[in-house]
Parts: sequence; C-alpha cells; structure tokens
Amino acid sequence: MFRLGLRSVLAHRLRFVLCTLAVTLGVAFAGGAMVFTDTLSHALKKNFAVSTADITVTPSSPIETGTDRPATFQSEVADRVAAVPGVASAIPQLMVSDVEILGPDGKKVENYGLTSFGAAWPRDAATAPFKLVDGTPPYGGSQLALDESTASRAGYELGDQVRIVTPTQALTATLTGTTTPAVAGAAAGAPLVTFDGATAQRLLLGKAGWTSVTVALKPGSDADTVSKAISTTIGDSVKVRTAKQVSADGRHDLDTTFGGFSTVLVLFACLALFVGTFLIVNTFAMVVAQRSRELAMLRAIGASRSQVTSSIVAESAIIGFLGSTLGLLIGIGVAVAIRFTYETLDLRIPTASLQVTPTTIIACYVIGTGVTIAAAAPAARRAGRLPPIAAMRDDVSVPERSLLVRILIGAFVLLMAVLFYAIGLNTGGLPGVVLIVLGAGTAVIGIVMLSPLLSRYVVRALMYPFGRKAPVTLGRRNAERNPRRTSATASALMISVSLISGLMVIAASAKASINENIAEALGTSQILITTDGTPAFSTQVGDRTEKVAGVRSVHRVRTETGKVGKTNVQVTGISDGTLDGPITTKYDSGSAAALGSGQALLPRNLATTLGVTVGKTFELATTTGTHKLAVGGIVAPNRQLNAVIVSLPTYQTIGGTTSDNLLYVEVADGNQVGQVRADILGRLTKDYPSIQVRDQQAYAAAAREPVNGVLAAVGFLLVLAVLIALLGIVNTLGLGVVERTREIGLLRAVGMDSPQLSRMLRVESIAITMLGSLLGLALGVGVAAAIQSAMVDNGLGVRDIPVLQLVAAVAAAMLFGVLAAVWPSRRASRLNVLRAIAAE
Amino acid sequence: MNEIAVRAVGVWKVYGGGQTQVDALADVSADFGKGRFTAIMGPSGSGKSTLLHCLAGLDKPSDGKVLLGDIDLTTLPEKQLTHLRRDRIGFVFQAFNLVPTLTALENITLPLDLAGRKPDQEWLTTVIDAIGLSDRLSHKPAELSGGQQQRVACARALVSRPDVVFADEPTGNLDSRSSADVLDFLHRSVRDFGQTVVMVTHDPSAAAYADRVLFLADGTLQSELLDPTAESVLDTMKKLETALPAEHVAG
Repeated sequence: MFRLGLRSVLAHRLRFVLCTLAVTLGVAFAGGAMVFTDTLSHALKKNFAVSTADITVTPSSPIETGTDRPATFQSEVADRVAAVPGVASAIPQLMVSDVEILGPDGKKVENYGLTSFGAAWPRDAATAPFKLVDGTPPYGGSQLALDESTASRAGYELGDQVRIVTPTQALTATLTGTTTPAVAGAAAGAPLVTFDGATAQRLLLGKAGWTSVTVALKPGSDADTVSKAISTTIGDSVKVRTAKQVSADGRHDLDTTFGGFSTVLVLFACLALFVGTFLIVNTFAMVVAQRSRELAMLRAIGASRSQVTSSIVAESAIIGFLGSTLGLLIGIGVAVAIRFTYETLDLRIPTASLQVTPTTIIACYVIGTGVTIAAAAPAARRAGRLPPIAAMRDDVSVPERSLLVRILIGAFVLLMAVLFYAIGLNTGGLPGVVLIVLGAGTAVIGIVMLSPLLSRYVVRALMYPFGRKAPVTLGRRNAERNPRRTSATASALMISVSLISGLMVIAASAKASINENIAEALGTSQILITTDGTPAFSTQVGDRTEKVAGVRSVHRVRTETGKVGKTNVQVTGISDGTLDGPITTKYDSGSAAALGSGQALLPRNLATTLGVTVGKTFELATTTGTHKLAVGGIVAPNRQLNAVIVSLPTYQTIGGTTSDNLLYVEVADGNQVGQVRADILGRLTKDYPSIQVRDQQAYAAAAREPVNGVLAAVGFLLVLAVLIALLGIVNTLGLGVVERTREIGLLRAVGMDSPQLSRMLRVESIAITMLGSLLGLALGVGVAAAIQSAMVDNGLGVRDIPVLQLVAAVAAAMLFGVLAAVWPSRRASRLNVLRAIAAE
Repeated sequence: MNEIAVRAVGVWKVYGGGQTQVDALADVSADFGKGRFTAIMGPSGSGKSTLLHCLAGLDKPSDGKVLLGDIDLTTLPEKQLTHLRRDRIGFVFQAFNLVPTLTALENITLPLDLAGRKPDQEWLTTVIDAIGLSDRLSHKPAELSGGQQQRVACARALVSRPDVVFADEPTGNLDSRSSADVLDFLHRSVRDFGQTVVMVTHDPSAAAYADRVLFLADGTLQSELLDPTAESVLDTMKKLETALPAEHVAG
C-alpha cells in the first residue's frame, strides 16, 4: 500500500504542492527556532559556563527582583564567610545593571538590546567574574575600565575620557584598562564598566553594599560541604551556590535578548501549522473524492478497507515527510540567517558551530508528518468506507456523515461559547478576560462546525449584489455545492482574520484608553521627564531642572518592586504635593494628608485585591525585608499611580534607592511650555543624553508607542497566517478545477469564453474569502469588545473600533480573494475542450 | 433542401509523425444540408468522432476547410470560435454533461445566459414541450434519469436555434426506451422545426432515424445511404467490414 501511495503522490504532484508548502512553512519556523536556541545556548555554555568562584554567596531577597535592583548585603557577610573552615578567600563583589555608557559623540553606545552592567573592581583577581585584558585597574572617582568589546565598538583607547551615566550621577572618567565581559551569570557577554570598590558603591548603589561574595576553597576542601557550612553560619539571609549550581541555573542576558527570536518563531510555527491543517484536510478530502472510483476499484479487486485507508495514510506520510525535510532545511537556513545577523552586529558574542541536534530532527519530522497524517486521517477513513460496488457506478460519491450531527454538536458548542462569554462579561477583570478568550476559542470550534450550514445562507446573501448572470450563479453554486470544503477553506481565513481584527480593536482601544487615562491623570504638570535607557536616573536631573527659569516645581516619583502577601506590586515614592495638582487624584476615602510616615495610599483595585480598608495595616516585602504600612487612603484607578503610594521618606525607610523614575514639572505662570521644555533639555542633554523631556501630548504619544510596536510585530505574523489561509483558497479552487475538468470542458463547449470562466472562479473565491473574513471580523471584533468591557477598570476604559481600518482589512482580503483565483482560472482556461469533456 | 449548413472540404487530421503517423481523417469532403438529419457511422477508430469534432470547431483539422455557412472554422481564432459555438452550434454528448449545480431549466438556457441574451419564450416553451419534461424543470440533474438528462441536453442544444446540432453518440449510455425518446426528439426537431442535426452513432437502429447515413472507415468516406432503415444500414456495414482487412474491423 505504501508503493501505491508513493505512485499516487508522484502522479498527482501538482495537487500536493500547496499541501507540502504548508507543512514546510510550519516545520521551517519550528525547526529554525529549535536550531537557533540550541546553537545559542551551546555557545553560551561553551564560553560562559565556568564560574570563576568555587562558591557564590548572594543575598536572599523576600521578593524576586530583576537584575536592575538586586538585593545587597554588607562587608561583614564576606568576613563571616571567610571565617568558615575550608574557605581560602571570600571576596565581596558588586555588579548591577542600570548603567549607560556614552560614546565619544555623546550618544549612548549601541548595545543591540543588551543591558549594560556596572561592577566594582574585585580585591582578588582569582575569583573575579571578569579579567583585566589591558592597562591597569581603575582607582578613584575619575578612573574606570570598560570591557574590550564595548571599548572598541565605541572607539575608545586607553587614556581617553569616557562618559558614564549611573542611577546616581553623570560623570566623566579616564579609561585606564580594558577587561573581558563577565564570564558567568546574568551579565555574561554584556557591556561592562568597572570602578574601584568604593566608587562603584557610590555611583551604582548610592549606598554601601555588595551583591555577592565569591569564595575560593582551600585545596582539598569539598565544595558541597563548605557550601553547607556557609549556609549554617550565615543563615537564611543568603543563598549559597557551588560553581556547578551557578552554571546550572545561570540565566543569561544574551539568552533572553536573542532567545526572543525563537519565541516568535515557535508562535508562528504553531499558527502556520494550525492554519495549514485546514489546507491539508481539504486537499485530502478532495483527492479522495476525485479518486473514489479508483479506490472502489481497489476494493473490488480484493483490497481490504484498511489497505485502502493505509494507502491514503501512506500518501499523507510521504507529503509530511517531504514537507518536514524541506522545512527542516529551510529552518536551518533561518537559524543561520539569524546567527549571521547577530554576529555581524559589533558585539563580542561567542559563536559556536550550528547545533542541529537529533532532538530537533526528530521533533521536526514528528511535527510535520504527524500533523499531515492527522489532517489526512478523516479522508483516509472515508476512503476505506467506499463500497466496492462504487467502482461500477457512474456517479460515485464518497460516503459522508450527515451534517445534522455536526450541526447539532456545533450549535451546542456555540451555546457553551456564548455562556462563557456572558459569564466573562459579568465577571470583569483578568478572570473575565480568561473566560472570554475561552469563550472565543470555543466559539471558533462551534462556528467551524456550524459553518457548512452558515456557508449556504451567508454565501447566497453575500453574492446577491453581484447579480444573476450565468458566471456569477455558477460561481456561487460552486461555492455552495460542497459546504464542508467551502467552510474548511473559509475557516482558516476566519481564524486569521478574527485574530487580526481583534488585535486591531484592542490596540485601538488601548491607545484611546492611554490617551484618556493620561489626560485624566495629568493635572498641572505640563512637562514630564523620563529616561530612555535605564528605568531610573540620577536625582541631579531633578536638581538641575529646578534651577531652570520658568519652572515652578518639580515633583519626583521613584518606583520599586515589592510584594504584599503573594501579590506582586509596585511601590511608588512621591514627593510632597505631587497628588495635589500635578497628578489629578480622586479619593474614595482618606486624603493625601494621610501620607505620613509609615502610611500608604492604595489604588482601589489593589485595595480590593488585598482586602484592606483605610486604617488597616498590611505588610509590604521589599529587597530589604518586610515593612508594616497603614492604609491612609484609597484612590480611584489612576494610570500614573497604579502602585502602593508612599511619601519619599517612607520610601527611603523601606529600602528604596535614591534615584528618580519620573519627574512631573509645573511651569510657572506666564511662561511658554515649549520654551521651558527647550531650556530644561538644554540643561540636561549633554550629561544625560537619554533623558526625555516631553509635554503632555508627546508623553501620551510615547506611552502609545509600545502598542504600535506590538501591533506591528504581532500583525506581521498574523498577515503571514492570512497568506497561508489564502493559499488554502488557491488550493481549493485549483483542486476544484482539476475535479471539475469535465464540467469546465462542457461549459466551454456550450460557449463560455475564458473571461466568463475566470469570472466564475473569481466569484467562488470571493464568496469563500468574504465568508471567512466577515465571520472572522464579527468574531474578532465581538471578542475584543468584550475583553475591553471586562477590562474597563484595568486600563482599557475606552472602546475604539477602528471601522475604517477594519473595512480596509476586509477589502484587502477580498482583493486577495480575487488574486487567489488568478492561477486556478489560468489553469482552467488552458484546458483543452475536447480532452476536458473526455476526462473521467 | 439544397442549402448547405456545414461543409467539409478535403479535411485531413493527422496524429503523430514519421513511422508512427496515423491519418485519422484522410481527405474527407462532405456536405450537410440544412434541415436534414445526417448520421455518421463507422467502426471504432474509423474517424467518425474526429470528423464530428472538426465539423463542430472543437478540433482543428491538419489540412482542409470546414465551412459553417460561409465562415471557415479552421482559421477562426479561439475567442470567436467560442462565441460561434455558443450562438450557432448545439451539442449533445454521450455522457449527458449537464452542469450539476444548475436546475434542468437553467441548464437549458445556459448558452443564452452565457451570451447574455433573453430566451425567446415561445421557442423555449416549444422545445420544453417537445422533450416532455415541463414538470421537472426545477430538478437538478442528479434527480433526473439518464434519458431525461439527455433530453434536457437536447433541449439545451436547440434553445439558441443553432445552425447545426452535433450529437456524439447521444444514445451510447441509454437503454433502448430512452434512446428511442431521444432519437424521436431529434427526428422531430428536424421534421417539425427545420433544425439541422449531425449525429455520430454506431447503432444501426439509431442511424435509421436519420435522413441520410455516411459510412466512414479508415478515415475516408466509404459510402452513403439515403432514407435508411435499420436493415439497410446493417447490410451496408457488413459489406464494408468484409471489404476491409480484418485488423481494421477489430479495431
């Protein structure tokens, strides 16, 4: 039966071209992702796996923080570790992110998405996380060292003056040495600037402290034993890991930066395979229908049911295998291309030979072949059910299960979807969104099941405006004649279009909501100052701004991460008066006056989540420990203040750093906002090139920017999915032409000319396209609107349905529908009339 | 009845070349009078279907001319040929060849719809009455019997009042009763409506419905018979077979 399948595939190559292409695309993206991830992590392991320290001790923090604000401890920890038996040396280290390195041109050095780190020069080179390459170690506040890659990328030589911006200040210092990048941990391979210990603490932390202690063992000591001893000596406040453990759970910044590629690829692989499945299902359904007489003949001459079925399965396995092979090859190409791209960036990123592991190869074949066989299975089963007698009959049709059962189940599923949807709408918030998305998923299944029924009426209604001329009627009836096929083809498009239209509505609503929320939240603060690079910036920025003529007041906002119970929260420290004008605040209860020492204001939703009211106390965990705070007031949701709000002194006591995240500037009466803004910029831009000084409109525009970014990135993927769905239409039409060869010959014989023939196919194509895109549009807009309703209190207060964009999207889909008919109609009009009529 | 509807002048149809060259038609010349029912007979491989296809402009002869009225079909470009087929030629095929998605009535008026013309109601009624299916017009082909489908196909061929109706083995797939219905209809369309019909058949009793029978063998015209009966057709066939070498008869 395998040979039969192979022969059949070879004989009908053209029919399987698009099918194979669909599998190839999906596997290519999956394979590319896997090869790239393997190659990257191999490279990282090879170059950065070795920790130079035998044991590393880090502060254990009650909250999980990023690398930018790590927990710290004092030198005495290092002394106590050094006293543990078996320890040869215990050296405190300091390494934090949040540093900007400026080039000789005064602009930030391009790091291609990598975070820059700042470190203290270690007292002992043996366990240091980096090594000196050239020059001398930096000493004092006017000397620093850079990693060699960053130095050469920026064009700095030893002895040059280098400008650095740290969270506490901007400074210029002499480059005295170059180092390797960090060899292990989060900073591996990333740009690195180093100072001597005291300078580093002052510039990077603004206070005394270390982020780790590296331990070298005495010869003959066992790492595990000593590590246990350190744990017992110091207690719970630290985490002790051996070199082996460090490399095992080492998270690399490189990994997260460049690993993003693979996530995108994997997502697209899933979408491509999902949409492609519809194409494969259709192809096999049509191939079996076309060959039904031949298959029945096999049964008549003695083939068993399972033999007929397995011949079709063999065909699908061949297609899947072929598609997987091509996909794997293309995937390797994709990985090579990505690797080439990042290698040409002027970063000292380690390279390794391309890693095509057996796991990748097996996974690609399993995915590609598995999906194809699964998609072909229903057709294969139907083929097996053909009665042998069908070979003798003139008019063979493949037995199909009644649509009734399918429609009943579909209706039930759709009902469930509506139920989820309704409950979700009533629930609101994130749980509501989850329910609505669940409902949307269920609705897709329901609509796909119901669509054979829907297609009959919807197609008729949609095609009404096209008139009743013969080619139109014929095209419409062709779209109606096999509802399963039409609806499967349209469903693929429906899913892609619903994702796109949903995304468009949510993005538009998000942007409108951001606009409104910012307009509502911003009061008298006409100018806002933020930074582009690191989240926090030096307090000097505010100090200098205060001195600019025309500035009435500068209000500072500082933010940290914290935890209340199990809920992750932001903690915001604000200077006095910020809530009395610069930010418009509505109080549910309490007032800004209640923002005394040890008191906090909570936004309404956070208060509800935590279950606290005014006067109650709660415990806030930060990097420095747990702090008791009393609720002084509860405020209405405010975009600018969605956090536990405390005064700056309180912020200090709970361990907040002395650097600002956002400044609200009020302009004194009689001054032009534009002029004041230009003056502030003039004061700051030389030392702090990343500082952004914006008026309210520009600030809102900047806040909308990420939405556009997401829209562009996700939208690109979805457009690719739509293209695969359109390939499905080409496939259905093309196979339809093959299947109806004789009918087309007849139409030609009775006088249909080739423009009329093209028109007939175009109408069928437009009918399928419209069915898919309108169903998708309805579903997408409906779900997005519901999500917006559920998220009214979570920052999506405004519903904005971009009608013009949506209409344009559907119009584009229709245009593609017309294009999809081009190739099939060329094929159809080239059919020889005589041979077509004689065709079986 | 001296007017000529279709005329073949020295028509050759050659397949292949060199050693494997086959002359499907070798210098065939024939006239088909207006208002006459002509049957073309011959053993398998005699070239009778090829001749019909050439006459109908579905196939191009290798040499010679085919004249419909005074139009030479052999030099007509594809587009005009398509429109000529639509407006001036009718077809009936062996396998009924109705469009499965259209009803019987829609199938009948399809050539007119494609041409963008309104049917002549009186003529349409006449044709439909003649095929005797006025109560089944809204049925789809799958709901009609073979004989009924073929009569719908005949009505479709006649609806545009073509100059000639070509029928290629119209009874090949039918039982004898249905065959009689179809042939009777073709016969009446000639007698009552003055249509011109050219039919290829290998069934002597079908040929007996015609006014004239042309006998074809080995791609050349062998003889002709006027006002045939089934017996006279059979006799002529037998004579032809004995005159030819056995291998051709078998083919």
